[in-house]
Amino acid sequence: MSTKAGLIAASLVLAVAALTSSFTVKAADAGPKIAFDAGAATPRQVEEGTVKAVTRDYAAAWKSLGEAVEQNRADLLNANFAGTARERFGALVESQAKNGLRQRYVDRGHKVQVIFYSADGSSMQVRDTAQIEIQLLDGSEVVHSEQATVSYLALLTPAENSWKVRVLESVPEF
Amino acid sequence: MKALRTLVLASALVWPATVFAADLQVPKNVVAGQPVTINSAPGGTMYLFGPNVAVKQNVDAGTVEVPGERLQAAGRYTVVIGDSKATFFVTNGKPESIAFLARPSRVPAAAEEAVTGTAFIFDRYDNLVRQPLPVKFELAVAGGAPETRTATSRDGAAWVKMNSGRKEGAAQFVASTGAISTKRVVQHVASDPCSIRMRAARGNNGNIVVETDPIRDCSGNAVPDGTIVTFTSVDRKGRSTIDARIKRGIARAELPASDNATISVAAGVVMGNEIRWGGGR
Repeated sequence: MSTKAGLIAASLVLAVAALTSSFTVKAADAGPKIAFDAGAATPRQVEEGTVKAVTRDYAAAWKSLGEAVEQNRADLLNANFAGTARERFGALVESQAKNGLRQRYVDRGHKVQVIFYSADGSSMQVRDTAQIEIQLLDGSEVVHSEQATVSYLALLTPAENSWKVRVLESVPEF
Repeated sequence: MKALRTLVLASALVWPATVFAADLQVPKNVVAGQPVTINSAPGGTMYLFGPNVAVKQNVDAGTVEVPGERLQAAGRYTVVIGDSKATFFVTNGKPESIAFLARPSRVPAAAEEAVTGTAFIFDRYDNLVRQPLPVKFELAVAGGAPETRTATSRDGAAWVKMNSGRKEGAAQFVASTGAISTKRVVQHVASDPCSIRMRAARGNNGNIVVETDPIRDCSGNAVPDGTIVTFTSVDRKGRSTIDARIKRGIARAELPASDNATISVAAGVVMGNEIRWGGGR
């Protein structure tokens, strides 16, 4: 294959990759690695820009959740969580702080699949298979540590300039 | 109390939770809000971490009960007592409420698949009800025939697209499953005019007064007041156009006097009749 043909082929691959509804993001300061698959979304297809925005914001949500439960700071949840999810994780942080407990997540990445995107674009439901090392701490003492594959069901809604997580439930299986 | 004991025993018979080096005997799945009994527990400090709770307390060896109020949020819980550990899941209870999103809030009558409804089903503790459930959606204006569709929920969500009704008015849009339901209002307004019929007469000042018959959509609903209707007169001196708003169902305007003009009327993309003024009609 000539260099020119190779470049054309590479360009085509890049173009196809850019158009596909699967998307992976990894930025050290933006949160964990998220492999995002919107191919099965129904009843509405997820636009490319929305895929990027949700991927970015979902990663940021996990990052802030990890920081909130490690530092026992509920205020860190405000930017990425709303509704039930915000209330629950806020209560978790509060009871951790009350009992001198903490958690540390070593987040090894998420495989996220969109299962529902409402026709009016006002809500999105995803299934997330997360690889996480969870450490439970009493003060600075680790009382439990495990590597876990955890399934999560999440419901996200758009806010002014970002997507927020309204429901984040771990489930036994999909 | 007896019922609670029976429930606890039944829960304890479910197969054990995730395996750790030294397992605690905990049921694998627990319904939200129900207590859990941990049998043969060692004494010491017990830690319980869940979606919205983190507990540290001393317990005696033997049977340890975790009250239901600490197990209301669906999700994964980890309990640690000394070197013994277990993980179990709390799952949703029965449906108790529906969060219902209806769009749009105003819709033209007789429009196909113009109304969308999304229902999220929750139990009494705001956990998504994951079991598939039939959700009935009904859209109806008082006095009109309701449109009904049923969808099966998946992971707590069900949705439909509905045709709007033929009659204008405040439509009740209801989502229900079993005995629970939630209602929204979708205002139906008249669609585009179906046809426009006008007549013309000479005014006292010699101008041409044009006036439409009552303007209705194809379902017979009156097109809302304020809708713009455009009257156009073309004669040898040129073209005159007047935009008039529908008032009390009709539109009226005064065009410049002319001996021989062609007058037309339109609203949006809908054209009405044409009048040849001074040409014998």
